[in-house]
Amino acid sequence: MTATLDRAFARRWVDAFATDFERERARLTELDRAAGDGDFGANLRSALGKVQQRLAADPQTARAVFAAVSDAFLDTGGTSGPLFGMWFRALSRALPETDPADVTQLAEGVREGTATVQRLGGAEVGDKTMVDAMVPAVAALTDATGTGPQQALTAAAEAAEAGAASTEDLVARRGRASYVGEVARGVLDPGALAVALFFRAGARALDG
Amino acid sequence: MSVKKFLNDPDDLVVEALEGLVTASAGRLRLHRDPLWLESAAGGTDRRVALVSGGGSGHEPLHSGFVGPGMLDAAVPGAVFASPTALQVVAAVRGVDRGAGVLLVVKNYTGDVLNFRIAAEIAAEEGIEVETVLVDDDLASESDDGPGRRGTAATVVVEKVCGAAAARGLPLAEVAELGRRVVAGARSMAVALEGAVHPGEDVRSFDLAADEVEHGVGIHGERGIDRRPMASAHELVGALTEPLVAALGLADGDRAVVVVNGLGSTHLLELYVVFREVAALLEARGVAVARSLVGPYVTALDMAGASVTLVRADDELLGLWDDAVTTTALTWETR
Repeated sequence: MTATLDRAFARRWVDAFATDFERERARLTELDRAAGDGDFGANLRSALGKVQQRLAADPQTARAVFAAVSDAFLDTGGTSGPLFGMWFRALSRALPETDPADVTQLAEGVREGTATVQRLGGAEVGDKTMVDAMVPAVAALTDATGTGPQQALTAAAEAAEAGAASTEDLVARRGRASYVGEVARGVLDPGALAVALFFRAGARALDG
Repeated sequence: MSVKKFLNDPDDLVVEALEGLVTASAGRLRLHRDPLWLESAAGGTDRRVALVSGGGSGHEPLHSGFVGPGMLDAAVPGAVFASPTALQVVAAVRGVDRGAGVLLVVKNYTGDVLNFRIAAEIAAEEGIEVETVLVDDDLASESDDGPGRRGTAATVVVEKVCGAAAARGLPLAEVAELGRRVVAGARSMAVALEGAVHPGEDVRSFDLAADEVEHGVGIHGERGIDRRPMASAHELVGALTEPLVAALGLADGDRAVVVVNGLGSTHLLELYVVFREVAALLEARGVAVARSLVGPYVTALDMAGASVTLVRADDELLGLWDDAVTTTALTWETR
C-alpha cells in the first residue's frame, strides 16, 4: 500500500489507535489510579466511543476525520479529554481542504496542537504529562519533513515512546498527578503513553 | 443499601431533573440536547449582551434556577460535581449570542476553567465576542500556590449584577468589569454539619462525629480546613464571618450584600438564625447590611451546613441588584 496521508489512512489511524487503546486501557487506568484519580481510561474510552459515532457521518478528507475526532474529545469530561480535543483540532486545521496531506503539514499540525495544549494546561516537558510525549514527537516529525510519511510517523512513534518512558522517574508538577507528589514517582504518565500509542498506531496504519 | 433518594437510574438524574424544571417553568425555559444546555425562552431578539454560566450539577438551584430575564440566558450543566464539556458551552454561547457578545461566569475549578476557556477560544474564532468572569470567593481555599480560591455562593451575586447590567444594554466590557468588581469584593466561608451523599451511593463524603463540624468546606463534599468541636450558632457563625470581614477590610461605614446560603439539607429556620448572627456581627462593626439573600442557593447535594458570603457594596452594584429579575429561584420586581 502506498503511504498517502489521506482520508482512508486517517480512518485506519484512528481505528488502530482505538484498538490499541482498548487493549491497553486496563493498564492506563491502573497507572492513573496510582497517580491520579483513575478516570483517565473511562474518559478516553467515552471519547473514542463518540469518535466512532461521529465517523459514521463518513468525513471525506483526513482533515475532516480529525475534525470529527476533535469534536468527540471536546465533548468529553475531565481535563485530558478537552486537551486532546484541542490537540486534534490543531492537527485537523493544519491539513489541506483536499487530500492528500504531506509530512510538513502533519508536523505543523502536531506542533500547533502541542503548543495549544501547553498554553492551556501550563505544562512543560518534565512535568509528567502528555506533553512529555508530544514535544519529542514534534521534534521527530519536524526533522523528518524531508522524508516520507512512513519514516516520519515511525520516528514520531519512537520519540513519543521514549518521551512517555521518561515520565516514570518524574514527579508531577502539573495535572492530576501533581496532587500526590512523590507517590507518583515510578509510575508512567497515562496521558503520555496514550500519545505514544497514537503515533505508533499511525505508523502501523501506513503499513496497511 | 444506598441512602434513600428520589431516583430512577442515577445516570439519568441530571437530565430528568432538567426535564422536570423545564416542565414546571410552563414555557419559560427550553432544554437543548446533544449537547445539553438550558435556555431562557424569554431571550428576545434585542441586541444585548448574553450571559452563560454552568458547572457541575448538584448545586441546584445554581445554575439552572437562575436562567431567565434579568439573570442568565443559558446554563450549561455537567454531571454531578463535574464540569460541563467544552462543546456544551460552545453550543450555548452560539445559541444565545445576539451580536453584542457573551459573558461567561465561571467558578474557579480546574475542569470548569479549562472547558470554558476552550469554549471561549472556539467561539472567538467564530467571531463571537466573549469575556469571562472567574468567581473565586471561597476564603477557605486561599493559598499562595495551586489553583487558588474556589468559586462558591458569590456566583449568585455576580450572575444577578451582570444579568441586570446586560438587560440595561451595557456593552460586554462593562458587564464583565462589573462582574470582576463583585468578585474582587466578595469572600465566602462554609461550615458543614454533615457530609454529602452522592445519588446512588451509601456513604457520606466525610463522616463527622456528633460533636464535630467541618470548618471551611467547599461545595463538592471535599474535606474542609479543619475539624472543630460543635458549638452554638453564635460561635459557628462568628468563626465564618470574622475572617470574611478581615479579608475584605470591611470597616465602620461600609456596606455589604450578605448571602446566607444553605448547603442542601439545613432548614430555613436555622439559616435565619445564621443570618441573625451575621447581621449582629456586622452591625457591631458598623457595617451596614445593604441587601441580603437567605436560603439554599448554592448547595452541595444534601450536605448539612451553611455558607456566609459578604460582598462589598456601592450604589451602582446595589442599583443593579435591585433591577427586576424573573427566574425559578430568584424573582422580584424592580425595587
